[in-house]
Amino acid sequence: MKRSHQETSVEEEAPSIEGSGCGGGDDNMDELLAVLGYKVRSSDMADVAQKLEQLEMVLSNDIGSSNNALNDTVHYNPSDLSGWAHSMLSELNYYPDLDPTRICDLRPIQDDDECCSSSNSNKRIRLGAWCDSVSSDSTRSVVLIEETGVRLVQALVACAEAVQHENLSLADALVKRVGTLAASQAGAMGKVATYFAEALARRIYRIHPSSAAIDPSFEEILQMNFYDSCPYLKFAHFTANQAILEAVTTSRGVHVIDLGLNQGMQWPALMQALALRPGGPPSFRLTGVGTLSNRDGIQELGWKLAQLAHAIGVEFEFSGLTTERLSDLEPDMFETRPDSETLVVNSVFELHPVLSQPGSIEKLLATVKAVKPSIVTVVEQEANHNGAVFLDRFNEALHYYSSLFDSLEDGVVIPSQDRVMSEIYLGRQILNVVAAEGIDRIERHETLSQWRKRMGSAGFDPVNLGSDAFKQASLLLALSGGGDGYRVEENDGSLMLAWQTKPLIAASAWKLAAELRR
Amino acid sequence: MAGSEEVNLIESKTVVPLNTWVLISNFKLAYNLLRRPDGTFNRHLAEFLDRKVPANANPVNGVFSFDVIIDRQTNLLSRVYRPANAGPPPSITDLQNPVDGEIVPVIVFFHGGSFAHSSANSAIYDTLCRRLVGLCGAVVVSVNYRRAPENRYPCAYDDGWAVLNWVNSSSWLKSKKDSKVHIFLAGDSSGGNIVHNVALRAVESGINVLGNILLNPMFGGTERTESEKRLDGKYFVTVRDRDWYWRAFLPEGEDREHPACSPFGTRSKSLEGLSFPKSLVVVAGLDLIQDWQLKYAEGLKKAGQDVKLLYLEQATIGFYLLPNNNHFHTVMDEIAAFVNAECQ
Repeated sequence: MKRSHQETSVEEEAPSIEGSGCGGGDDNMDELLAVLGYKVRSSDMADVAQKLEQLEMVLSNDIGSSNNALNDTVHYNPSDLSGWAHSMLSELNYYPDLDPTRICDLRPIQDDDECCSSSNSNKRIRLGAWCDSVSSDSTRSVVLIEETGVRLVQALVACAEAVQHENLSLADALVKRVGTLAASQAGAMGKVATYFAEALARRIYRIHPSSAAIDPSFEEILQMNFYDSCPYLKFAHFTANQAILEAVTTSRGVHVIDLGLNQGMQWPALMQALALRPGGPPSFRLTGVGTLSNRDGIQELGWKLAQLAHAIGVEFEFSGLTTERLSDLEPDMFETRPDSETLVVNSVFELHPVLSQPGSIEKLLATVKAVKPSIVTVVEQEANHNGAVFLDRFNEALHYYSSLFDSLEDGVVIPSQDRVMSEIYLGRQILNVVAAEGIDRIERHETLSQWRKRMGSAGFDPVNLGSDAFKQASLLLALSGGGDGYRVEENDGSLMLAWQTKPLIAASAWKLAAELRR
Repeated sequence: MAGSEEVNLIESKTVVPLNTWVLISNFKLAYNLLRRPDGTFNRHLAEFLDRKVPANANPVNGVFSFDVIIDRQTNLLSRVYRPANAGPPPSITDLQNPVDGEIVPVIVFFHGGSFAHSSANSAIYDTLCRRLVGLCGAVVVSVNYRRAPENRYPCAYDDGWAVLNWVNSSSWLKSKKDSKVHIFLAGDSSGGNIVHNVALRAVESGINVLGNILLNPMFGGTERTESEKRLDGKYFVTVRDRDWYWRAFLPEGEDREHPACSPFGTRSKSLEGLSFPKSLVVVAGLDLIQDWQLKYAEGLKKAGQDVKLLYLEQATIGFYLLPNNNHFHTVMDEIAAFVNAECQ
């Protein structure tokens, strides 16, 4: 049951609202403001107005110092107007009707501060995942860059349509045409089209690519190159690390379970940030999950990270876990030390492959829930490449990878050799989305709004990423040597990396839903 | 002084619906956090707070949209809104299909934000542009112009000019009747100011603009007008913040006599004898810069130009952002009539 909270009343904690149902979460929401990006219940409108008035009065009473007081404020989730206004009032120590001794700290209050006693603390209603028609799964965001290449795109789409309708002889003729047109098309469009044409050809001739076909060390090279030459992985690691750092500010020990260790590129930066923590670093334990074929690599990586930890003065422990499938993980495979460590589960692009087997994602998320992490960081591609209809997947992927390739084209500093490697890295994804099926189709990207529903159903609540993470991610992008077109966007507590106006990567953070935290 | 602040807040609350008051007060509060006394602007926080929406090639309420990079050098982007046909959603190759109609108005839209705030993909402006499509049976092209203080005059005008040229030479935007693009310029607040200045360039270069629509356009000058003194701080806006934005937009060292700020002031060129587009100027009676806006309309009239002034006594800034008041509907009807007059 949802009730609005008044500052004066002491109420029991409201049950958290699951993100799964669109209708349930939207009760009483002011529709006009919702379209403009603000979630305010009609029944809360007067209360929100009052908060804004109070803020106005507090700020105008002494313009000089009050502005300074809010200069370093970290803002969270501007869509939640009530929460936003409330946070600022707290920051200014303005509690007209509250007992000030109840408030434990001056950070913007998030749901369920651990430091306050559960029955008397100031709870705000959690509005949960926001379902709306504007950012629903059926949004097709298109950025047109070149007006040339129309014939090429037409041929590609026509070919995909022929494949969809199983008119393989027509498809065959068209794919050859695409190949010809692509060869004479300059720039990103030509390259993207070449990969899509190859993928279509494989589909037509039923040469389904196997996801296990690639040599792991080549895979490693591709990924590292991709990491270096464009900001996508850097953004993913950076925002996940920001969320982790914020969750462990007072921890004496941190244990990260990384669901996809790969080359461990995310962890040096986190360790360095921990090392610099005022008051000294926590101990840092990393459990890296990888595949069997990578077993030696994992151990070596652990050793290298240990050397780094030693050099920077961070107490460090490492264990490697190998599994062919993340859904095979069981809670008892992880040694957790809840009394001395804050547990983090981290997944950067590791969840979507699990969707290739029915039931697996639910099992994995149940395992994650069972180890009782304080925070779960999730970064995924912002696209729906997992629709049931081939043609829809094709069109989505065409838009998505066109934007990605275009962003690579724009980079001032990327040597062409590195760009080629990045394109190969992405090209393999394209092949998989278009030509693979069943268990082999692992690039089953889904949008943030889809992931929100899954996480909500699995028993997780969102943790908002704030304006400081936003700002630093923006600065990181500016320094990454890529083009001018990268943007960070805030979306209802999550952060997205966009190329121009097209979101490409979404980073979110999660914690166990309220009733599970006790 | 808390007392008079309280009175101001109560006054503004009586003239707009509560959700409008919340929306505009939220902007006011946010904007106060972004403007720094030294003239710099907290751009990161601004982008964090701004509610944005993606383009959507799937029609929603009969309108679909897509973004176009007009100029890669400056990253100049525009969002194009088109009426949807019955049938399946447009594929990527259909997006720039030729417009279907004897006369199809194309409205080049400049969002507001006092030259510093908002973007073409801000939710408030995406919503407004979508309305204009249905209202006028038009294609709307919303310009994501460069903003102050990072990009001062004349960047916004240059960007507007670039998009106007792009629109004018896009064959898919040509009306069947005469194989020409039927162009209107529209904008609110700073967008209204940009409308005027882009129209000036159009006149000088022979691009035919059929009409200008200015909603609460942002103009000013060095003197303090009666309306500025009377309404200062009463309805969401202060003279102080207006000064800040002009300082941020105008070239350094310039004052508000600059023609970009004061088009009928001491330093401006006469419009007499020019074939300037007809104008619809909408002025809100509770907007503190109304004297400047009224002076603008007067100036056009005196120069022999065709201008219709729509004065809405009880309207505040931003009344056109939510369809919950009479002013909104009045203005939408006027805009439709203004644009469609050309289609007879």
